[in-house]
Amino acid sequence: MAIEKDKRLRDHGLHTERLLWPTKGPGKFETEIDNLEQKVGLTTLAKAIAWAQTKSMWPDTFGLACCAIEMMSIVGARYDIARFGMEAFRSSPRQADLLIVSGRVSHKMAAPLRQIYDQMLEPKWVIAMGACASSGGMFNNYAILQSVDKITPVDIYVPGCPPRPEQLMEGIIRLHEAILAGVPPAYELRTVAT
Amino acid sequence: MAVAPEKARAAIYEGTRIPHPIPTVLQVSEELKATGDVLEINFGPNHPSTHGVLRLIVELYGEDVVGLEAVVGYLHTGFEKSMEQKTWWKAITYPERIDYLSFQANELVFVLAIEKLLGIPTPPKADWMRTCLCELNRIHSHLVWLGTAALELGAISMFWYCFREREQILDLFEMVCGARMHTRYFQTGGLAEEIPRGFYPEARRFVNWMPKAIEEYEGLVDRNKIWLERTVGLGLLSRDDAIALGQSGPVLRASGVDWDLRKVEPYLAYGECDFRVPVYYEGDVYARYRVRMEEMRESVKIVAQCLDQLESMPAGAPWITDDRKVVLPPREELQTSMESLIHHFKIVTEGYRVPEGEVYVTVESARGELGCYVVSDGGPRPWRVKFRAPSFVALEATATCMGNALVADMIAIVGSLDTVMGEVDR
Amino acid sequence: MSSSWKKVPGLVRVEEGHGETTLVVDPARLVEACTHLRDEEGFDYLSDIAAADYLGWGTVGVSGYIGTAAGRDLNRPMTQGLQALPRPKEKRFSVSYHLLAVTTPPRRVRVQAWLDEGEAVSSVVEVWPTADWHEREAWDLMGIPFTDHPNLKRILTGDDWEGHPLRKDYPIGGEPVRFSEEK
Repeated sequence: MAIEKDKRLRDHGLHTERLLWPTKGPGKFETEIDNLEQKVGLTTLAKAIAWAQTKSMWPDTFGLACCAIEMMSIVGARYDIARFGMEAFRSSPRQADLLIVSGRVSHKMAAPLRQIYDQMLEPKWVIAMGACASSGGMFNNYAILQSVDKITPVDIYVPGCPPRPEQLMEGIIRLHEAILAGVPPAYELRTVAT
Repeated sequence: MAVAPEKARAAIYEGTRIPHPIPTVLQVSEELKATGDVLEINFGPNHPSTHGVLRLIVELYGEDVVGLEAVVGYLHTGFEKSMEQKTWWKAITYPERIDYLSFQANELVFVLAIEKLLGIPTPPKADWMRTCLCELNRIHSHLVWLGTAALELGAISMFWYCFREREQILDLFEMVCGARMHTRYFQTGGLAEEIPRGFYPEARRFVNWMPKAIEEYEGLVDRNKIWLERTVGLGLLSRDDAIALGQSGPVLRASGVDWDLRKVEPYLAYGECDFRVPVYYEGDVYARYRVRMEEMRESVKIVAQCLDQLESMPAGAPWITDDRKVVLPPREELQTSMESLIHHFKIVTEGYRVPEGEVYVTVESARGELGCYVVSDGGPRPWRVKFRAPSFVALEATATCMGNALVADMIAIVGSLDTVMGEVDR
Repeated sequence: MSSSWKKVPGLVRVEEGHGETTLVVDPARLVEACTHLRDEEGFDYLSDIAAADYLGWGTVGVSGYIGTAAGRDLNRPMTQGLQALPRPKEKRFSVSYHLLAVTTPPRRVRVQAWLDEGEAVSSVVEVWPTADWHEREAWDLMGIPFTDHPNLKRILTGDDWEGHPLRKDYPIGGEPVRFSEEK
């Protein structure tokens, strides 16, 4: 392995542990986040709070359809989300931080979904997992809500049908990085559906 | 309507536990309502147990379930109408997402219906490979069922064991066609692509490992006192009730009916495979669990037999039929043959046409009898596609199974019916 | 076996195709026919109730394999074809009951009733209890009313939904897809 003894990943210029690639420097996304950090200028306390928020963000059990099965497999041992402190899927939205909308949202389900989003306490984030939650997917018809951002503000869209577990993890990690950089949750940024 | 109603009612409802007048709704008796102690609770569409967006409106008297109604439709996607807008080829991507745990079976039933209407045969390699993948899919579906049902009953670590094997199966699917779930590998007339090199040794490794994994699962829960107390004697469904309610698959076989479409109406290569069908007679949750465990074992045997057959086929065996009106020609031919170019163009733009007719094709998916009723008007698009979903029918039996159940038993019973809401709501 | 179909009450005709038998019955005598099939013929299992809407059958969008009603038309692409039109259907809706006899060997039959818009058919819940939800779905998505059904409510679409989505005159819905380059 290219990681030498007594050196941490960040000494090699890596910001996240997902890439054990010896010559990789920070990617475009990470550079942008760094620039954002300098511009926005977080205080130490805000940085500490953001760090705490990312390290144990508990998702809500909101599996709807096929994407829910891939969401369950990130809890499995191969794609282990417990490394990020997120294996505790809370059933009660009052205890959850993150709503991973995994699956197609029908019009009948839109009202319960919004109710659950409303029951979550701030700060809360929403990941639209899969093509159906991001844009309606292959179901451009009378029954499916064409994207969950019509009723809730969304932080991260993860494409795929269904997205691989690694794709979902990438989405979650980007969310973590955005939070660490000081990007506020979507309900503060967007004026839709708050 | 002269003679039917009284005679019909007498024949069905004598000695049955199906609620009357509404067979799917357990209604609270008047004496209990008069006590004023009945509590109506909504197990809403979002709830911890993982079979999806099912809503149960439950009336409780203490801890006894005295009233139950299942409300579905929270995942209604309009598959059938969407499929009417697409050509036959493009419509094959839709059925997979209906029952998202045994996705190959859904594809299979639709493709078999098209092939029946077209009247084209499939090469044996395609039949055996389809059988192999369907059985792998059955194991996948039962693994997810077992993991989540155990999770709901409190045997949480079972979830990780089952998902470990599930990842191996998904690796096999990914090797074959590039996607873990929703593989879109079945094509009208055969398979979409050649079977890749390296599939057979990997599949063999899985087949050799899987029986030991099943023994591990049984070691965890089979003789566990808590599991037995939570599953034995609950959710009883008698043989006649099961047939009257249209149950199929493991639910029917756990109620004592020896009925498996793979044996009685063999399709694909099941007629040539040697396997037994597990039947249990108690009709409770434990019997359904045992039926599914043994089905997993039998599926492993079928996969091994399919691999034997596939490996013994000659190297250049075709994996899709030759009928160029339906199947794309190989790309090399497009450079040289005019007819191939025209066929390619017509199939890709307009789509192949399926002769007029209507068929109803059934396969045995992991949940039971999955049926597809297709009406074609002779054109490039389906006129009407209807899927008979086994979970839709299984949910009709919740009220019957729920006699004398407590709240905690309700979870176990609904879990044992193995419903997938994508199928129920389509 | 085909001779015993004559005893089915209300039988209009028997059709065979692709190895399947379809018994077209008069909708007014449907429950009698179903009870006869269940008790005398042994079809104790109702597999599925499928409703289909034939509005626009043979006139819309079918090309190539069969031509339009007027034959070849140079202004409508791909209407060349010497084959026949699809057989016309007498009424708008068909309700097909797929029955199964749980015997060895199994026997399947399809019972079909043809209905006009708004015409009701009696429910077979008393014959096979599993018909409950299937008929609710047919009512919800196709708008076929079933008389004597104990609980005929919408099941798949929301309770306050208007219209019956799977009918041919109901639009597919959805949104137009906008690509990024378009303004």
